[in-house]
Amino acid sequence: MAVQTFKLPKSLKEGAKFSFCPGCDHGVAVRILAEVLDELGLTENTITATSIGCSVTIYDFINVDAIEAPHGRALAEATGIKRARPDKCVFTYQGDGDFASIGIGESLHCALRGENITAICINNTTYGMTGGQLGPTTLLGQKTTTSPTGRNVEYYGYPIKIAEHIALCDGTAYSARVSLDTVANIKKAKQAIKKAFEIQMKGLGFTFIEILSTCPTNWKMTPEQAHDRVRNQMMEVFKPGVYKDITAEKTV
Amino acid sequence: MECLQKTKKKVLMKGNYAIANAAVMAGCECYFGYPITPQSEIGEFMSGKMQELKRAYVSAESELAAINMVIGACSTGAKAMTSSSSCAVSLMQEAISYASADELPIVLVSVMRGGPGLGNIYPSQGDYNQAVIGGGNGDYQTIVLAPSTVQECVDLTYKAFYLAHKYKNPTILLADGLLGQMMEPVEFTEYPYPEIDNSSWALSGAKGRNGRIIRSYAPLAENQCVFLNKLYGKYKQIEENETEWEEIDTEDADIVLISFGSPSRNVKSAMKICRKEGLKVGFLRPITLWPFPSKRIAELSKKVKMFLDIEVNMGQMLKDVKLAVNGAVPVEFFNRPVGNPPEVDDIVNKIREIMK
Repeated sequence: MAVQTFKLPKSLKEGAKFSFCPGCDHGVAVRILAEVLDELGLTENTITATSIGCSVTIYDFINVDAIEAPHGRALAEATGIKRARPDKCVFTYQGDGDFASIGIGESLHCALRGENITAICINNTTYGMTGGQLGPTTLLGQKTTTSPTGRNVEYYGYPIKIAEHIALCDGTAYSARVSLDTVANIKKAKQAIKKAFEIQMKGLGFTFIEILSTCPTNWKMTPEQAHDRVRNQMMEVFKPGVYKDITAEKTV
Repeated sequence: MECLQKTKKKVLMKGNYAIANAAVMAGCECYFGYPITPQSEIGEFMSGKMQELKRAYVSAESELAAINMVIGACSTGAKAMTSSSSCAVSLMQEAISYASADELPIVLVSVMRGGPGLGNIYPSQGDYNQAVIGGGNGDYQTIVLAPSTVQECVDLTYKAFYLAHKYKNPTILLADGLLGQMMEPVEFTEYPYPEIDNSSWALSGAKGRNGRIIRSYAPLAENQCVFLNKLYGKYKQIEENETEWEEIDTEDADIVLISFGSPSRNVKSAMKICRKEGLKVGFLRPITLWPFPSKRIAELSKKVKMFLDIEVNMGQMLKDVKLAVNGAVPVEFFNRPVGNPPEVDDIVNKIREIMK
């Protein structure tokens, strides 16, 4: 007898085909996010503010109400949504450039106000959709189309450690960095996203997940090489972990 | 500052407070703002009042954030607003373009001060272009209402919420520092317009239906063509239904004075003085700067000898007047670049001079 072992999450649109490049982690991130919305029964009560870049396409895949924010303004629009309709589950899905460069003001202040919103930030160390330029999380030494000899401090300064910065905000209830490079880490990432949504729905404050992701096209790597890079280079600087969780038992 | 409900008699009130009070009376559910002179009293009033009424208020980190919060709130169908001035409204242009494309009922109160750049905090009409033409990208049009008295600040604030929601279109109340800061007797009626049903488009969670997307991203040119034609069909409707102006003594007029906002009051006084002198002077004040009363001005241009356009800027509405007149008769211009309106005597002298 055939046993169904694989089912698409109900929160994904029927027949939706991901438009991401082969080996890109966006697809995995969207998939586990959809699973979390299913498991928490939030799909019909959720509004998302999308961003600019590859992450904007999330509204083509997830079957929730959505508004497309200008570049960097997703958390301002999410704030407007949540303040107008506090009973809704509100999240943003942004890239590192959207969240931590053009939108860093909106991001930090949303965390400082302790808005009951969940922000998911895909950190792939580059501007993907525009063809791989240097972004706020581009690693030192990393070659991009606008750092042709590699990121050096003299011209470009340093990459930002987003999850650590957000954890410093008093309004933040949860801040974690996860990756999608192994099955075990995908499971951890899903748990972190789930935790963030649970905390949001309890009204405990701002919740944030930074997801280390691949961009094989712009990194000019195979998917396998790209995941090796996440492990060997990105995790050296952007260490995975939970940086703040106000619901955790205090350990000294 | 106490919030006044429906008033039985007139009360003395500052323009900025009157606008804020009217917004509360109009059912504004969310206010998001960032301080800037000469409109800061609006945010000050709202901060206390909205909390007292358990409505939404955020001291936003910037004007960029403030207006995008308005977009977020409006996407759920809520009545939401921000207020700002000149150089700070410049920062909002991107969001106004987005809200136009998203067809969202955002309400922006713009209390003009001197410019360009930081300029100064004197009254000005230097943002006619900013409001009417706009500085955002793409083809779009905002509805622009221009009050000339504190009472009209109240009445047009009500109307701004109504028109914004009726047409799902960004709507700007364009006041100036003079109106914002001066006190006049006003009365508040109840919100005189019907509530608009937003349920067919507002984001409320995809319960029993597919997710709704409010977006402006249109990857295919042909889709964008369809959308823009539809959008401009809506603008045509607004032009047909909502163009509003005040007109006095144009029947026998040789010259028609055109002026908007607070300076139009001095212009009206000048007109009355000239009439007493036997000069055949008429007066036309656009109340909606967009839609602009072009048709009416074109009609008048067939029977009057000339127009005199008076503004507190370097001649911004002047271009719209000239477009409407289309060369039929001369259009003269009298201005003060920035600050208080031209004195009545100066306007009278200008009228005498050009009517010689």
